[in-house]
Amino acid sequence: MTCEECLSELATGSLREMAADSAVMQHCATCPDCSRLTTLLRDREYNAANVLNNLPPMSNPITLAETAVSTAHRRRVGRIVVMLSGAALVVTIWFTAATLILPTMRSNGPTMSTLLTETIPLSCLSPQQAADIINPYVRSRGSTYYVPTSGISAITVRSTAAELAKSRDVIRKFENDPAAACRNTPADMLRKLSKDLSDAQIGNGQPGLASTKVPTTPERAEPKEQTEPKERTERKEPAEPKKQ
Amino acid sequence: MALRSGAVPMQPYISLAMSLNRFGKSRDRGTTLSYRDRTAYALDAQLASLASAGDDSAFTTLVTRFQPAVFRWALMFAADPDEAEDITQEVFVRTYRELGQYRSDGPLDAWLYRITRRAATQMRRTRKRRGRLALSPGAQPLRDVYTTDPGGRVDRERAASVIRELFAELPRRQREIFDLVDLQGFSPAEAAERTGMKPVSVRANLFKARKAIRESLLATHPSYSELSR
Repeated sequence: MTCEECLSELATGSLREMAADSAVMQHCATCPDCSRLTTLLRDREYNAANVLNNLPPMSNPITLAETAVSTAHRRRVGRIVVMLSGAALVVTIWFTAATLILPTMRSNGPTMSTLLTETIPLSCLSPQQAADIINPYVRSRGSTYYVPTSGISAITVRSTAAELAKSRDVIRKFENDPAAACRNTPADMLRKLSKDLSDAQIGNGQPGLASTKVPTTPERAEPKEQTEPKERTERKEPAEPKKQ
Repeated sequence: MALRSGAVPMQPYISLAMSLNRFGKSRDRGTTLSYRDRTAYALDAQLASLASAGDDSAFTTLVTRFQPAVFRWALMFAADPDEAEDITQEVFVRTYRELGQYRSDGPLDAWLYRITRRAATQMRRTRKRRGRLALSPGAQPLRDVYTTDPGGRVDRERAASVIRELFAELPRRQREIFDLVDLQGFSPAEAAERTGMKPVSVRANLFKARKAIRESLLATHPSYSELSR
């Protein structure tokens, strides 16, 4: 056996099981370098095994057992406490959600899925007028109304069923009312004013203007306005924007 | 055979007393169990059964019986004997908790060995996690027993230096296999049974571990450079 073969064997072989008549040992008997190395390797592993195998545990086994039992009990109790705490936490969360959060969410208003959208046609009111009328009723979260800008005579309302019904009723009420402002043309308003004025003059013993023909166009009415008393002119002023 | 000067006669690594493990079990390589083994297994199973039924004295007997072995196994996973003591403590806490799961068809020491491995691995992970917040090793106080047993402290420092010298650079598997086979005297088959590895893997890990551990000494040989080419 050469030194290389011996080293190769020493690198990976079991030194513990090396028999005295093995090839390595026979080589070591004739080679001082290999013998020294083999001895060093064996001594180091022997000492390591000796130190580790003969090192006694420091703790007393009875104390160790008692500590193990008490620790195991404590951990078991700890696990139970953790489980109970977890269960209590889950119950608390569920209770809080059921009693506080969900009712609050419900009272806060409808969800987006409960909102209805409806377009209400208008025959008399303008969309802006209709919007002014329904504005106080469309107040819940997510509710709104759309005023068309293209001149279409309608208003689109997005709201809850109750608010939508209320808006529809209010608009219908104004639309069907013959005395509604939107139904009065400027001529109608003038005629009414004249009648009111003549009634008032009859009451004062002056000839009334009830028989006077009221012009249907504002141009014709102008000369009469100049002859009328100042109070009349003042009372007609609100009708001026309607001409336009 | 005549020995030349300088050649040291081979001595057995593990004496006869050490070749029998601490429970009186023989290290025979045969697969059949001896009467002694069967008796030991039956005794262990009975102790485990009594302890799992709540008999604390049986558990104490079991701890007394297995503590040295568990401590020795823990040494191979630990950085020093103090850590091995902590692992041993943790192993018996787990043993007490899991005794009901022990099936008496296998040896109790193999079952305990698996618990030791798991406990050591978990403790190492925990220590690594807490390492950033822990005190530096120099700032940690010495155990009280060192003040009353200076000899024990010396022994432990020697053991720690051996662990550092032999195992510091080895991967965990190689370290475990080398310790089981070459230092504790288990056969590769027994090491495979305990570690849950295939015998082929055990031999491969043993091969690599021996090579790594012996390389520094082998490098001092004049012919080593020729071998390494």
